[in-house]
Amino acid sequence: MESLDLLLFGFSEIVTIERIIIVFLSVFIGTMIGVLPGLGPVATMSLLLPFTYNTSLLSGMIMLSGIYYGASYGGSTTSILVNIPGEASSVVTCLDGYQMARQGRAGPALGIAAIGSFIAGTMGLIGLMFLAPPLASIALKFGPPEYVSVMCTGFVLLTYLASGSTIRALMIAIVGIMLGCAGLDLETGLPRFTLGITDLLGGIEIAPFAMGLFGISEVLINIEEVLKEKRSVFSAKIKNLLPNLQDWHDSLVPIIRGSVLGFFVGILPGGGAVVSSFSSYAIEKKMSKHPERFGKGAIEGVAGPESANNSATAGAFIPLLTLGIPSNAVMALLLGGLMIHGVTPGPRFLPEHPDIFWGLIASMYVGNIFLLVINLPLIGIWVHLLQVPYKLLFPLILIFCLIGCYSINNNTFDIGVMLFFGAIGYLMRKYKFEGAPMILAFVLGPMFETSLRQSLLLSDGSFLIFLTRPIAAAGIIVSILILLSSVITFIRKRKGVIEK
Amino acid sequence: MKTQYLIGTLFWIVVAFFIAIEAYRLGLGHFHHPGPGFIFFFGALLIIILGTIDLAINFTIKEKRGEIKKIKPLWSGLQWGKVLLALSGLIIYIYVLKYLGFFLSVFLLSVLLFNGVGSSKWWMGIGLSLITSLFFYLLFQIGLNIPFPQGFLNF
Repeated sequence: MESLDLLLFGFSEIVTIERIIIVFLSVFIGTMIGVLPGLGPVATMSLLLPFTYNTSLLSGMIMLSGIYYGASYGGSTTSILVNIPGEASSVVTCLDGYQMARQGRAGPALGIAAIGSFIAGTMGLIGLMFLAPPLASIALKFGPPEYVSVMCTGFVLLTYLASGSTIRALMIAIVGIMLGCAGLDLETGLPRFTLGITDLLGGIEIAPFAMGLFGISEVLINIEEVLKEKRSVFSAKIKNLLPNLQDWHDSLVPIIRGSVLGFFVGILPGGGAVVSSFSSYAIEKKMSKHPERFGKGAIEGVAGPESANNSATAGAFIPLLTLGIPSNAVMALLLGGLMIHGVTPGPRFLPEHPDIFWGLIASMYVGNIFLLVINLPLIGIWVHLLQVPYKLLFPLILIFCLIGCYSINNNTFDIGVMLFFGAIGYLMRKYKFEGAPMILAFVLGPMFETSLRQSLLLSDGSFLIFLTRPIAAAGIIVSILILLSSVITFIRKRKGVIEK
Repeated sequence: MKTQYLIGTLFWIVVAFFIAIEAYRLGLGHFHHPGPGFIFFFGALLIIILGTIDLAINFTIKEKRGEIKKIKPLWSGLQWGKVLLALSGLIIYIYVLKYLGFFLSVFLLSVLLFNGVGSSKWWMGIGLSLITSLFFYLLFQIGLNIPFPQGFLNF
């Protein structure tokens, strides 16, 4: 009951014209980003990060999070109509969604994706509402060794779940930690890796770093690959957006299953929308009485994954808001946004900033309703948007990046940093190094270093402190097990190759 | 295949060596009181170790087994020249912004991006550049009051 009272308090925080408009605009932009292949929510959030400097903290958080869960809605549209996922979390929707469109059932596919996302988003928010406060009270028992341990688990999980090589993901995560720690050492005042540049004494700013690593690099990769591409959009008239009774019968259980699965997977560091959507598809196929229908237009193959990826967005907020540890790159950016406003999320976040926490949850309820309203009637507009050639979009995106970056400190040095990391991000993608572990580690790096140094001070240099405290030990053991499992999987694969 | 893995991983190993040297110079401190270079030194060491393992796995071991994998080409068949052109334009923008001012810099950059990189027709590129620079000027400089340099045109 207390949670409901606090939720009402949250609604009271957002029921202003300004904030309602921000919720609407952010989910609209998020949906648009989700529809347009080539610019993901991370890149967009990094572009808009500087603009949150001039707003209140709650408004800034509403804007950034609206883009995140809005993009999950929008990604399904391109998957179903163009067979190109607008978002990584909508890849799996292509398998059955596009087939449904080819069978003249684009309407029900789009409809069930939108409605399933709404139901899942709402369920995820209910989970967030009831789970976050008790988790935050447990997190009050955390000291520096526990934080080191949880962050290690986060790094290891994220690298383990990386789509490419785990070793490379670990390498780039360590680079991210070092980049995050660059600047003046808080204890000794010594400049570290500032290259003699005064602007770097305060460290590398997150906004230019993120904008470059994700936004600029994304555009550069697309310039190289897709400039000449012409997209063929499914052009038959889209009818009957509302699913029929049979569609509901087939989809209801996958939606509920996807919602629960997605929520808990979203809590895991490295989990999130992508992993949850793939997991949901695998589960639905396994549990179906007719698994042979999957890949040929089974509505369960759309309902489950689209629900999972939306509830995962709510679950992902839990480690960020209760422990102050982001579970993926998007949350890392949100953490950056909070820190820019001088707020450090963690166990004290809920008691000290209940207006931000409950206001954010209330805004997500409102945002989910707006998304249901936007997605169904505006499908025609999204289809037209898909037909805008990328060669007309990318200059706008680049200039937007330049303006956003300059507006942080009115300093062209930040633009230079953005372009530098844009080039690095571009090369990283070419040479198969992922950006997500790097940004996560970049944001957590300073916290990780401080906690590590404090832990070693506490223990007089003994690393056993991470094994003698129960929560810390649990995290370290989980990390070691994950790494071992990675090694064992690799050895088994090698043996399999040799035997063949 | 060799090149793709070799260059990327080697790059980070070389960077890690330099970081380790600089971190040592900063001071590692002791385990009971880590110094400013502590995390950098051990981070760099870890990168070198992981990078060496990665090279061994993806270069030495696979070569011995004679595996062949088809990997997308890194550079051939791709428009990396356009990427260089776009980046060059963005870098020049940084230097000319102060002198030309926001509106003119954005206009010239847009022309480069629409025409040079995007290969639009010249009249379309110039028209879109004008609309783009006007739109951003009105929205950000006038509407949101972001204090961009005005340049020699005082505009």
